[in-house]
Amino acid sequence: MISAGTFHVISTELTIGMFALAGVAFLLCALKKGPTSREAVAHWALLGGLIATPLAIISGINAVPGDGIDNPLLANKLLLSMASAGLAVGVLLRRKWGGEVDFRHASIGMISVGLMLTTAGMGGEYSRGETLLFLIPKETVMLFPVWASIILLILGMAIVGKSTIEHRS
Amino acid sequence: MRLKVAIVLLLMILSTTISTANPGGKGDAVRSRDCAGSCHASSSSNGISDATLDIQFPDEVYAGLLTEVHTSVGSVEVSSNKMVGMALLINSDGAKDLPANDGWEVVTDPNGGANNYVEVTDSFSSQETVSRTWTLRAPASPGTYSLYLAVQHGTPNGGVAMTGISEAMQVTVSEVPENLPRLSEEWEPVNTRGLGEETEITLQTVNTDSATIELKNGAEIITIPVVDDKFVIPAAVNPGVVEWRVILEGEGPTQNSPWFRLTAQEPGWEVDEFALYLQGFALFILCVGLVVLQRPKSEEIDSNKYDNTEDVTSQFGRILDSSSAMVDLPTNGPPLPEGGLPEGWTMEQWEYYGQEHIDNIARGGQQ
Repeated sequence: MISAGTFHVISTELTIGMFALAGVAFLLCALKKGPTSREAVAHWALLGGLIATPLAIISGINAVPGDGIDNPLLANKLLLSMASAGLAVGVLLRRKWGGEVDFRHASIGMISVGLMLTTAGMGGEYSRGETLLFLIPKETVMLFPVWASIILLILGMAIVGKSTIEHRS
Repeated sequence: MRLKVAIVLLLMILSTTISTANPGGKGDAVRSRDCAGSCHASSSSNGISDATLDIQFPDEVYAGLLTEVHTSVGSVEVSSNKMVGMALLINSDGAKDLPANDGWEVVTDPNGGANNYVEVTDSFSSQETVSRTWTLRAPASPGTYSLYLAVQHGTPNGGVAMTGISEAMQVTVSEVPENLPRLSEEWEPVNTRGLGEETEITLQTVNTDSATIELKNGAEIITIPVVDDKFVIPAAVNPGVVEWRVILEGEGPTQNSPWFRLTAQEPGWEVDEFALYLQGFALFILCVGLVVLQRPKSEEIDSNKYDNTEDVTSQFGRILDSSSAMVDLPTNGPPLPEGGLPEGWTMEQWEYYGQEHIDNIARGGQQ
């Protein structure tokens, strides 16, 4: 057996590798350059990264010493990775429902990739105290009150529900 | 263009700094000595430390019981942050060298944790000797064991990672005498606590009639009563370490436990995890919604440039029409009469016998 820390490294590299590939492919989509397979590569790589993301999160939680989230970096990692995963799922759904891979679509894909790479950079700051991202918040967490999160949640679910119904009709 | 890119890349490579160690340390951990690939650049680029290293054991070390080990590091010049990494090991091979491999358990390390590698910041210099105390649980099997003290540190000028390891220090672990008053093998001391909170500790003893607690308060030692195997250490106002030990009396010889260290820490960062997870989930759903909100309307999908259904359908229709017409036309043989094929004829028959049929009619024959 391997430790949670080692498994976290494996799953993280898998996730980040796939997201990085998707990011490059989305960049080509935005520039309308490169092979015609760029759209397929971007979306399939994004899907692969999304599938590996839960493994990275779970192994990361198990690898953290101590109980629970006791560091602002961990809290920010959670928020960023959830936002990134949300954007990625949205991009994939939009594409599946017939959305065109235009500049805006590719840009959202790249933002999702950027957020996930930032999350990985914060992991480096947490575990080794080093990162190339000098401006990441290390001691500040923007935490909404519970009621605000519930409103956001309801708003998000309403939008997703409306879009799903429109798509079916 | 390529030359410019190459020059930029070259400048970026040349701008990197060469670092052979982590000057801020790597943090306390359970760590083997062979960490060359992780905490230092390469074992081949390390220097050999001149530090004098020593380990002191008590006179009696009993199998499975707690014991106190003193380590000292002297005559060493370190980097400006005055940090030295100290590790307790069981061999100098760099593999399978953790104390646990021989059955030792680090109960309390000098920093209040339970690691075999700790980073100590103190007044290290060529004139000073810095000592630290470890509380270990001895292996369960009596015998002679070896322990090593290894160090890692920087240099005043930086640039080189220094490592050193002591000679093997032999310690004899004896069998526990009968009727020896002692702490139970299952009992573990508390290592840390928060500021401003009293600490109640429950002792588990064996062969013990009475127990007395001694608490170091600066240079003074105060006695704390033990009631029903429990005693209370007063709250700490500031971060720091208090040391205490228990004196056990019974039928056997009176025993003094090691000095246990209780570290008072600032409260760590805390967050309402429910609110955090809820916000994370809300962000996830909201981001999904914001993206799919931009999904094109159905009419836009119909006019999508990738949707060539109409073209394909119309082309396919034309192909069908032309093919049906081609089926009706003979590929060989004479052209069909105005009324089409004679009754009962097939196209194949017309191709072979059509001309004969036309000639026959021209000669006034039967149709």
